[in-house]
Amino acid sequence: MRGRVVAVAACVAGLMMAGCRHVDRRKLVFIIVPSQDNPFFKAEADAASTEAQRLGYATRVDAHDDDAYRQDNLIDAAIASNAAVIVLDNAGSDSSVSAVRRATQKGIPVFLIDREIETSGIAKAQIIADNDQGARLVAGEFVRTLPATGDYAELLGRESDTNAQIRTKGFHAVLDGVAGLRLVSAQSANWSQAEAFQKTETMLQAHPSIAGIIAGNDTMALGAAAAVKSAGLKNMKIVGFDGSPDAIAAIRMGELQATALQPAVYIARLAVDEADRYLKTGSTGEKERQIVPCDLVTKQNALDYGNFEKLR
Amino acid sequence: MNSVAQTLTNSDRLASGSARGVLILLRARAFLVLFLLLALFSWMAPAFLTANNFSILAKHVAISAILAIGMTFVVLTGGIDLSVGSVAGLGGMVAGYVITQGVTFGGAQHFPSIAVAVLITFAVCLVVGAINGWLVAKVGVAPFIATLGTLYIARGAALLLSNGKTFPNLAGSATHAGTGFSVIGQSFFLHVPTPVWIMAGLFAFAAFVAAKTPFGRHVYAIGGNERAARLAGIRVPRVKIISYIFSALCAACVGLIIASQLEAAHPATGETFELNAIAAVVLGGTSLMGGRGSVLGSLIGAFVIGVLADGLVMLGVSEFWQMVIKGLVIVLAVAVDQLQSRLQAKFLPLLLRSSPQAGA
Repeated sequence: MRGRVVAVAACVAGLMMAGCRHVDRRKLVFIIVPSQDNPFFKAEADAASTEAQRLGYATRVDAHDDDAYRQDNLIDAAIASNAAVIVLDNAGSDSSVSAVRRATQKGIPVFLIDREIETSGIAKAQIIADNDQGARLVAGEFVRTLPATGDYAELLGRESDTNAQIRTKGFHAVLDGVAGLRLVSAQSANWSQAEAFQKTETMLQAHPSIAGIIAGNDTMALGAAAAVKSAGLKNMKIVGFDGSPDAIAAIRMGELQATALQPAVYIARLAVDEADRYLKTGSTGEKERQIVPCDLVTKQNALDYGNFEKLR
Repeated sequence: MNSVAQTLTNSDRLASGSARGVLILLRARAFLVLFLLLALFSWMAPAFLTANNFSILAKHVAISAILAIGMTFVVLTGGIDLSVGSVAGLGGMVAGYVITQGVTFGGAQHFPSIAVAVLITFAVCLVVGAINGWLVAKVGVAPFIATLGTLYIARGAALLLSNGKTFPNLAGSATHAGTGFSVIGQSFFLHVPTPVWIMAGLFAFAAFVAAKTPFGRHVYAIGGNERAARLAGIRVPRVKIISYIFSALCAACVGLIIASQLEAAHPATGETFELNAIAAVVLGGTSLMGGRGSVLGSLIGAFVIGVLADGLVMLGVSEFWQMVIKGLVIVLAVAVDQLQSRLQAKFLPLLLRSSPQAGA
């Protein structure tokens, strides 16, 4: 029994040591994103980290899993480790204000990417993709590919997420004005592919007339595409949002019609560049709120786009 | 006993008859709830009561039912397995890794056949199950803690396999492992989806093992009174370890089915699935204290949850209300479970008196 405990303890200690990095004297850029198992946030974190290292900084990447309390702890960790800058994709527009303020008061400038916070004048920059414009782009393409009259269904993101609300508003700003289109079912699939698969199968049963599905992100669009394929339906029009590599591959194969690419890589690099400028000159040279437009990706231009960035 | 039965009055007979009726109703409550839900949704959603929809419904139910079947044994021994959702995610990722990245040995990359990929998946999940069982039965860690630990370890391992990315295009190509992975989740046999057959097969196997084999009786005995079981010569650790391994293998099936349906393996797949599985087991009348319950109950419990989820989607009920309603049904089921045990204790003398053979 004791031998086993010692062996387990030795393993744990070994893992901990492997996890520790060599002490670094470079200035630290602390990057906090919602999760690292989502290709979008992963690309964003990687881009920020690569750019910061290129500029001579040490980096640390962590995820708050959309949990404001965990985000708070990570901000404390950043303060404790004397970070020079925090690049943050925050855990909620209201619930993140105090954490951002605390870091700023401790003299650590915070650069927000992808999601805004309510209050201005605390963060040094808030750089986000234009979700509303992107949603309108996708919805416009959705209308173009659909027959003049028809039924469609909508898959919404997590209903408590601001971006889910902005996107569905953008969709409906376009779709509700088109006579002949009818929304027959709208369900949240919580951004998840497996959930979108099941919900789409059920929606197609309840409403066989569905001719198109508009989804709040690409993972849900891909789940819907898998369900449509499994139902043996042809000519279903499906659009998503985000511009993930998997979705772009599906657009090339004709399984999805369109997506709005959020330039996450560009935004992350821009934030790090502005942070670097701020540290060196005391100013970013830009206004706080910066909105970057999304690109519409269809079969025609799918080859021009890669991992959340325009390749050419 | 016979002399007692002869002294029964008419009112006693009546009371015992109605008591028995109430108890039968309570015992069949999961069935009743399922029947009520089916009737309700058939009436409210026109496309609900169709063969096609039932086939899809059963396919959705299969996911939580398979997990619940495995979970039943663990719960019957008085344990709990919180790791099943993560293990399902890990299973899908292992299959995805083997199919898309291949296996490297002898300095060369090999792409094994789909069957081998599935076997590797089962092997990895078996190891996780064995670790769960070992921690609980040999090291003496509380099941809740042990499987909470493996929940995190398995999820972390799934993320590490792909560095957080999704493994796409599992349909396969002839140059790599060859096609055929999509058969598990997408094919049909006799017009019934393959996942439903997997669920039926596992159910038949588990129900047989639970009711008709010494192993099954040992599981109930351990849950009823572990110390007594040990003194009676039952090899308690062995039975527990096998139970956790079976639960993990069921989770592996779920991981494979989902990865095959989506033709993609995502490391976050299966989050909170363990809660659905536990809810199904509890709805089916299995006691979380162990020793009481059945595999059939868990299957019906899974159907209740699945019918509720799909029916509410068909009616277009919002996600938030769906969660509230699901929670209410679970709480109600457990409350009724408590009521049943209390009534049973109260009516037992009455029932014993009225049926002479019960005491014999």
